[in-house]
Amino acid sequence: MSKVEGVSKVESVSKVKGLQTFPGNRIIWHALIVGVVWLLLLLLNNNIDPLYSSYLALIAMYATAMFGMTILVGLSGQVSLGNGALMAVGGYVFALTSMNWETVPIFGWQWNAIWSMVFAGLGGVLVGGVVGGLAARLKGPYLAGLTLGLAVGVPAITNRFPELLGGENGLMLTVPYPDGGYAAAGAAASLDPGAEGELESTTDPGGDQNGELATDDQFAELDLSEFDQETDPDAGLATEDLLTDEDFGSGDQLADGDLLTEEDFGSGDQLGLDGTDIGTDIGTDAGTDIGADLNVDSDSLLDGFDSGFIIERWQASMAIAVACIVAFAALNLVRGRQGRVWKAVRDDPIAAAVVGISPSGSKVSAFVVSSLFAALAGAVFAQILSFIGPGAFGLGLSLSLLVGIVLGGRASLLGAILGAILLVWLPELVDGLAGERGWPEQITNNAPNLLYGLLVVAVVLAAPGGVTGTIRSWVDKARGKARSPLS
Amino acid sequence: MTNFIDYLLGGFSNGAVIALMALALVLVWRSTRMVNFAQVGQAMFTTYIALTVQQSTGNWVLALVVALLAGSILGVVVFFLVIRPVKNSDTTGAIIATFGVLIALQAGAGMIWGGDPEGFVPPVDNAGLEIGGRIWPVSLYDLLVLAVTAVLVIGLTLLFTKTSLGLSMRASAFNPEVARLSGVRVNRMLITGWAIAGATGAIGGVLIAPFSTISPNSFDILLVFAFTAAVIGGLDSLIGAVTFGIGTGLVISLVSGYSDSGNAPIVALVLLALNLLLKPDGVFGHHGSRSV
Repeated sequence: MSKVEGVSKVESVSKVKGLQTFPGNRIIWHALIVGVVWLLLLLLNNNIDPLYSSYLALIAMYATAMFGMTILVGLSGQVSLGNGALMAVGGYVFALTSMNWETVPIFGWQWNAIWSMVFAGLGGVLVGGVVGGLAARLKGPYLAGLTLGLAVGVPAITNRFPELLGGENGLMLTVPYPDGGYAAAGAAASLDPGAEGELESTTDPGGDQNGELATDDQFAELDLSEFDQETDPDAGLATEDLLTDEDFGSGDQLADGDLLTEEDFGSGDQLGLDGTDIGTDIGTDAGTDIGADLNVDSDSLLDGFDSGFIIERWQASMAIAVACIVAFAALNLVRGRQGRVWKAVRDDPIAAAVVGISPSGSKVSAFVVSSLFAALAGAVFAQILSFIGPGAFGLGLSLSLLVGIVLGGRASLLGAILGAILLVWLPELVDGLAGERGWPEQITNNAPNLLYGLLVVAVVLAAPGGVTGTIRSWVDKARGKARSPLS
Repeated sequence: MTNFIDYLLGGFSNGAVIALMALALVLVWRSTRMVNFAQVGQAMFTTYIALTVQQSTGNWVLALVVALLAGSILGVVVFFLVIRPVKNSDTTGAIIATFGVLIALQAGAGMIWGGDPEGFVPPVDNAGLEIGGRIWPVSLYDLLVLAVTAVLVIGLTLLFTKTSLGLSMRASAFNPEVARLSGVRVNRMLITGWAIAGATGAIGGVLIAPFSTISPNSFDILLVFAFTAAVIGGLDSLIGAVTFGIGTGLVISLVSGYSDSGNAPIVALVLLALNLLLKPDGVFGHHGSRSV
C-alpha cells in the first residue's frame, strides 16, 4: 500500500513544486519559458557562423527525438530501440509527401512543408500506435529485443519497396525553402560546395578588420547601392531568395551583399574579401536570373532581422521551431497529470492499477507520444540532410538516442537537451583533438562511440540519473531532502 | 521441390550458429535473469581475435581455442565490471548497460581492426559437395559447423544433467535463495554461467564468420535472430534455444531462397512479435518462469 501513497505523494510533490504561485497557469508559464528560449535560440542562430548553425540544427533535431525518449524510457520505463526506425518513418513520409503531392488530397489546399510535417507526425503516431500496442504487453528485455529487431529491420523494409522508398540509396529531397523558387536554391545547395566555402571563411583570419564595418549600416547602404548601380535592374537581381541565398555566393558576391545586412557578418571576412569583386559576379549571376526589382528587395533586406538566406540558418531555425513546439507539448505532458501517470505505472503498475490508472494504456500513450516526436525529428533530419535513406536511420541512430538520454538524464527534458548537445559536440571535440594530435582515422572515427559506450555503463552504474539527475540529487542533498535520481 | 530441399539443407549450418548464440543468451538468462544484448558484440570481438590468430599462425583449431578462452574471459569481465554492480532494482539500467557494452565493443573493434569487412578463411572447403552427380547446398565446412555445434550442445547437456557443477548451476538458476541455503556457491555459479555463455557465443562467432565477412557491426542481425530463437524457445530452455535456433536458420534460408535475403529480418521480427503475443512463455518455457 505504500506504493499507492507513493503515487499520491508524487502528485502532491509536483503540486508544491510545480510553480506553486500560479497553479492554474502552468501552461502559460510553459509557453513563456519555451517562447523566451525560442527567441534566444533564434538570436543565437542569427549571430553565429553558419557552420555552428548547422550544429544547432542537429542539436535541435536530436533534442526533438529525445524529448520522446525522456517520456518513453525515462518516465514510462520502456527501453526502446525503435525510435530511430520511427524517425525513418517521419523522414520517409515527409520526403514522399513533399515530392509527390502538390495539393493536400481531398481538401485541395496548396501543399507546403508544414503539411508534410503534419503527415510525418501522423505517420509516426500510426506506426507508434501499432508498435506501442505490441509493446504494452511486453516488459524490459522483450521490448528492447523487439524494437531492436525493428531498428535492424529498417534497411530490409526500405529494400522491400525499392521503387517507392529508393532502396538502399534512399531518396534525395528537394527541400522546400520558404519564399518560393526553392528548386533553384535546392539545386544550388546540392551542386555547390557551399559548406566548404563557409569552412574556409571561418578559418580565414581576416575577420577582425571587418568586424567594425559589420555594424556600420551606412556601409551596408553604400555597398548595396553600389551593387545597384552595377547591376542592370532588368537583367534582374533575381528573386529575393536568390539574392539572399548564400550558395549563390559560394564565395561570391551577392551572398555577401546580403551578409552586409546581417548583424553578424562580423565574422565578416567575407565582406572584405568579396567587396573587391562584387561588380564582376553580379553581372554573371544576375544575368541568369529572373528579373525583379532589387531596390524593393534591398530595402526589405536592410530592415529584415533575418533577411539573409543562409541555408544552415534556415535549417536551424526550422529545427528550432519544431524542437520548441515539441518541448512545449512535452513540458505540459511531463509536468502535468500524464507525467505522473507514466511515473506511477513505471514505479509500480499494480499500485497504479489500484488507483484507477490503466498500465497498458499509459504505456501505449507514452509510445505514441514518443513516436510522434521521433517522426517529427525524422522529418527535420531528412530536411537537414536533403536526403533520406536506411543508412542514416539504422540501429546506430536508435542507440545514439538511447546514449544521449542516459547521459543527459533519463527522466528529465533538460537531460534530453544536454544529451543532444553531447551527441553533436563530442564527435566534434574528438575530431578537433584528433586533428591536433594526428590520430589515425581508425581511432578518430571510433573514439566517440567508445566514449559513449563506456560513459553509458559508467552512468548507469554510478549516476543513474545522468547529468541532470545527479545535479538535482546534489541540490536535494544540500537542501536536506532525499529523492530517487529517476523521479 | 528440389529447390525446397536445397534451401532447407542450406539453412542448417546457419541455424546451428544461431542456436549457439541463442544458447549463450539462454545461459546468461538462466544465471542472472537478464538478456545480454552485448553477447554478439562479445562474439564479434573474440572472432576478430581468432581472425588475428588465424592470419598469423594459419591454424584454425588454435584460433577456435583462443576465441573460446577469450570469450569466457570477456564474459566474466563483463559480468564483474558491468552486470554485478548494476543495482537489482534498476532493470532498465541493466538493459541499457548491456547496450553500452555493445557500443563500446563495436567501437573498440573498429579502432583495433578497422571498419572494413574482412574475410575469414574456412579451414575446409566451403563449396557445395558433389554427391551422386549433383551439387548439394551443403559444404564440408557446413558439416564441420554442425559437428562442432553438436559436440558443444551434447557437452553442455551432459554438464547440466550429469555433473554436480551442472546441478548446482541449475539449482542457483531455479532458486538462488534455496540453493544458497543448500550450500551452493551461487555467485560462483553466476560467473560460471557467464563464462560458458561467453565461450559458446565466441565459438558461434568463429563458426559463422566464413559464411560472409566480419566487421564491427556485422553480427547485429545475428543478435536479432538469436534473440528471436531464444525467446520463442522460452528463454530459459537449452533445448528450446537449439531447436528454434536451427528452426530460425531454416526459415531464414527458405525466405532468402524464395524471395530475398533482405527479407529475413522482417520475417524474424514478425515471428518474434507473434510469439510474444500468442505464447509469451515460449514453446519450451515453463509457465510463469518469466513474465513478459
